[in-house]
Amino acid sequence: MKIKVSDILRHVLLAFLAVVWLVPIVWLLATSFSKYTGMNTSTFFPKEWAVDGYKNLLLGSDTVAQFPQWFWNTFIIACFTCIISTAFVLMVAYATSCMRFRGRKTLMNIAVIINLFPGVLAMIAVYFILKSIGLTNSHLGLIFVYSASSGLGYLIAKGFLDTVPASLREAAYLDGASEAKVFFKVVMPMSKPIIVYTVISSFLVPWMDFVYAKMMLNSGVASQWTVAIGLYNMLEKSLINTYFTQFCAGGVIVSIPISILFIIMQKFYVEGVTGGAVKG
Amino acid sequence: MEKSKGRIAGFFSAIGRFFRGFGEAAAKGDLFVKLSLIWMGAGYFRRKQYVKSVLITIFEALVIVFSVVCSSQYVPKFGSLGTVKRESVFNPVTMKNEINDYDNSFMILLFSVVSFVIWAVFLVVWISNVKRAYELQKMAENGEHINTFMEDLNTYRNENFYKTLLALPVAGVVVFTVVPLLILILVAFTNYDQQHMPPTELFTWVGLDNFINLFGGGGLTITFAYSFVRVLVWTLVWAVFATLTNYIGGILLSLLINHKRVKLKKMWRTLFMVTIAVPQFVSLLLVRNFFADGGIVNTICANIGLTGFLRDVGLISTSYIPFLSSPGWAHVMIILINIWVGVPYQMLIATGVLMNLPTDQVESARIDGASPVQIFRHITMPYVLFITGPALVTDFVKNINNFNVIYLLTQDVYTTTNQALANSQAKEVDLLVTWLFRLTQEYYNYKMAAVIGIVVFVLCAAFTLVAFGRMTRGDREEVYR
Repeated sequence: MKIKVSDILRHVLLAFLAVVWLVPIVWLLATSFSKYTGMNTSTFFPKEWAVDGYKNLLLGSDTVAQFPQWFWNTFIIACFTCIISTAFVLMVAYATSCMRFRGRKTLMNIAVIINLFPGVLAMIAVYFILKSIGLTNSHLGLIFVYSASSGLGYLIAKGFLDTVPASLREAAYLDGASEAKVFFKVVMPMSKPIIVYTVISSFLVPWMDFVYAKMMLNSGVASQWTVAIGLYNMLEKSLINTYFTQFCAGGVIVSIPISILFIIMQKFYVEGVTGGAVKG
Repeated sequence: MEKSKGRIAGFFSAIGRFFRGFGEAAAKGDLFVKLSLIWMGAGYFRRKQYVKSVLITIFEALVIVFSVVCSSQYVPKFGSLGTVKRESVFNPVTMKNEINDYDNSFMILLFSVVSFVIWAVFLVVWISNVKRAYELQKMAENGEHINTFMEDLNTYRNENFYKTLLALPVAGVVVFTVVPLLILILVAFTNYDQQHMPPTELFTWVGLDNFINLFGGGGLTITFAYSFVRVLVWTLVWAVFATLTNYIGGILLSLLINHKRVKLKKMWRTLFMVTIAVPQFVSLLLVRNFFADGGIVNTICANIGLTGFLRDVGLISTSYIPFLSSPGWAHVMIILINIWVGVPYQMLIATGVLMNLPTDQVESARIDGASPVQIFRHITMPYVLFITGPALVTDFVKNINNFNVIYLLTQDVYTTTNQALANSQAKEVDLLVTWLFRLTQEYYNYKMAAVIGIVVFVLCAAFTLVAFGRMTRGDREEVYR
């Protein structure tokens, strides 16, 4: 095959874009291995390399940085959120996709309307409600915030279940299976991709979220925080010069589980966003 | 239009049927049906459905207890939202200062709304219950089989399984989304702000004053109207640019990577996806420091003489480039950084769509002598638009509400020098949602935040309606059935 000029140009362009996209990430990685604790502003790469950032972050915790505790908090919250959200999403998806009942369309239209309100708006009132029953600054409250309304995000799962042939279910009914049995024994085993997608995406919510956690956990007690709040706090003007390297190290550590999960989810992500329309 | 008219008419006639059935049941029912107007378990009791009778009686009792114990304290004050201010009063008996029995406006609002929701649910259950009792009566008269409790339970695994499935999720949405939204919508009609903070102060209804303030009435607060227009314009500009740049960028990038003469496709894709793996709050906070006034990019720009050049040209007046700290620069940078954040996602989606492009059409077009540009314009693009069109609409709505990018990039970094904006706690780079968020978190101005929230909703709803009305959206729901 002859090499054309346009091919070379294409690869050069791709390489250039890749560099642009990777520069901040490389900077994150490089800075996390810096010996200097603050932000390095004079050179791109640190002058002296060290693993102190990681060591301080993981082993030495003080009133500002309690990364292992944050990681654990976020993990616990993520597990519960994941279980509740996945159950809710699949339940709503099955009910709206596989069953026909009065008020189904109305219910779905109401869900669309509710989704158009900015989430932050409802959260302001949720904060007061939780405060009046003493659940702010608690992980239980945050789990509620993340998972209670998750049923509203059923559309992607519904799009998937819509593609499960009805004849399969009808065969099961003829064999005398109850609706519940069809749900657990027929439809769920066929829905592995969408279950994986829902599990991972709801597990990732507490790792990625910043706003709700900041609203709910506002007492200033570092041991209660999630990773997002903790890392954000490290960049306060008075703290940034002591903690910037630790912030970068923390960012790298959080990214590892997330990227693993994302690689697994990637395949389902595309199908999800395009509503299951992408079928070869 | 015809269809939607029919739907609305259908909705109202369904409501009509619901009440007509109730009237009929109440008029023609026997003693126990009539009795179940008061004691909800009566009808079931008569037909020997004792467990059901007990359960519905407990439900009725709970609602009554709640109404007596809780609602009666709050609902009567709903009209004024409380009149007794919190004071500490000297009690001559105990010789101490004691807090009086004060009204908490927010609690009144909260429990009133909760009561209204509970009563609405109760009303529906109550009416259905009477109708059900009448049905049972008719079934008994005709000698039909009446379900035992176990048989009733069984329906919740079969034809009523959807109720079992939906109960908890719907309850969650009602408690954590519907009730809070109702409360916040009501707050928009009160004067709940820093001067009227419960428990120490009361707030009360002010009608449409807040809306008038926002839209430019009411002389004193003219700055609010000014800020609103500025923020609204930037919100729309941002949403349009953020959506379009990401969408087009994603498609172009995926076309570039998936070109058949490009080697190592997988490697290129992975390189771009590294940015997705880093959580947004990390990457955005990082980039913000990357472009800080005294940050690394500024150092490099100063070293290669770019800063000096820009100063000579007159684009900047400072000794650094104010990437994220002055209007104009910040606006452009935010959109650019958003491209960096969002294009990899779009690239992934576009890749998925393009891989499933019907190849036979492309082949036949090529055989007919179509140029690559023509193929792209007439086959690829319409196909991609058809598949991703709905996602484009939701992306636009998401960008109107894109809190993270704006807040994480500009909070603590950007301070406005525009006095009019500062007076209403807005910044040039604020979106409506970030403005709303900061109004509540930093200035406790709940009334204006609620009004802005409603405006955002109207904006999103209007856009969605128009967009979906124009797009003939393929409803695949029934295709596979």
